[in-house]
Amino acid sequence: APVPARRAEHRRAVARFWRQHRVEPELREQCVVPAEEYERFVTALEQALAEHQQREQERIQQIAADIREAERRQRETVREALQVEIVLFFLNCTQLQTEAELCVGPSVCSALAGPGRDTPQDAEQPGPSGMQAGPDLAWMESGQTLTFIGHQESEGKGNVHTGAKPPWLIEEEEEEGTKKEIGPSYEEFLRQKEKQKLKKLPAERVGANFDHTSQTSDSWLPSFGRVWNHGRRWQSRHQFRNESGEKKKK
Amino acid sequence: MSFLLPKLASKREVDLAIKSVAEKVLVLRFGRDSDAVCLQLDDILAKTAHDLSKMAVIYLVDVNKVPVYTQYFDISYIPSTVFFFNGQHMKVDYGSPDHTKFVGSFKTKQDFIDLIEVIYRGAMRGKLIVRSPIDPKNIPKYDLLYQGI
Repeated sequence: APVPARRAEHRRAVARFWRQHRVEPELREQCVVPAEEYERFVTALEQALAEHQQREQERIQQIAADIREAERRQRETVREALQVEIVLFFLNCTQLQTEAELCVGPSVCSALAGPGRDTPQDAEQPGPSGMQAGPDLAWMESGQTLTFIGHQESEGKGNVHTGAKPPWLIEEEEEEGTKKEIGPSYEEFLRQKEKQKLKKLPAERVGANFDHTSQTSDSWLPSFGRVWNHGRRWQSRHQFRNESGEKKKK
Repeated sequence: MSFLLPKLASKREVDLAIKSVAEKVLVLRFGRDSDAVCLQLDDILAKTAHDLSKMAVIYLVDVNKVPVYTQYFDISYIPSTVFFFNGQHMKVDYGSPDHTKFVGSFKTKQDFIDLIEVIYRGAMRGKLIVRSPIDPKNIPKYDLLYQGI
């Protein structure tokens, strides 16, 4: 019912348009889309829409299936890894608790893990810690090989986990009789202030780069422009040394 | 004497003074403590030393004790005063023939103070030779003879 009404209104609007713009009848025919063609368009449109929705639906379902498959594979791998760790745990428990043998542990583990397995089992704490960490363990260590330095046996002293006293608060024993101060001493502070004052002096001043602390020999002579000299100052020194040399020979 | 001036008695001590005095004018008076003009000069040096302490360090050197430097600096008249800055010899044009040292005594304390100021400022600007501010009338006259000729 609403469709025919719209169509009638549309026809009336079109007629008004023709009248307003004084369009020739021949032109009018060319502008109007025939009804059959319009019907054809509508059905084609509906069909295309249905097809598109169908395709989208299929795509989404495919993605969901892929995700489920990936999850399944992950769970499989973790289960297998845990089975290996259980085996190793029993192995370690039956061995003696020495560091050397504990270091063998990881190598045994990697030997098992190596061939034909792409699981990264490089976490160097096989045994109880592995069990507790759960499925997260293997993924974090992928690609890195850490050096195992042995289980830290504290033998009753306690550590950070048990809340023992930290080493820097233990003051009973003093090493090296004299207590050395940390940081610069007062003299160094004064020297630093002098250095800063030096920096404020003009850089082009005479002897700015003079090394005041240089060790010189007994025969050292300062840079002095002598009286009966022509030429540069270093020549005065040469001349003086020559003159003294001559006098000594006499 | 308000200020007792320090003395240098050997080449080693003079070397040490030249090398170690930093960022101040080093004044080396070459002469003899008993000489009349030296006494005059030493008096002026002693009285101005305190006021000039931020710009200058003053030492007295006995010419008999450092023959090497007496020859090297061509000291033929006493007192002769040589100026250094950061190990570098500072020359001054007094209007007299010898720019390498100041020969004789100063007329007034102010003359010496002005001279030190001029040397200090010149050194800060990188000049190895400066012009003396002292009136040429007040500069002692002497003949500069080449090796006694």
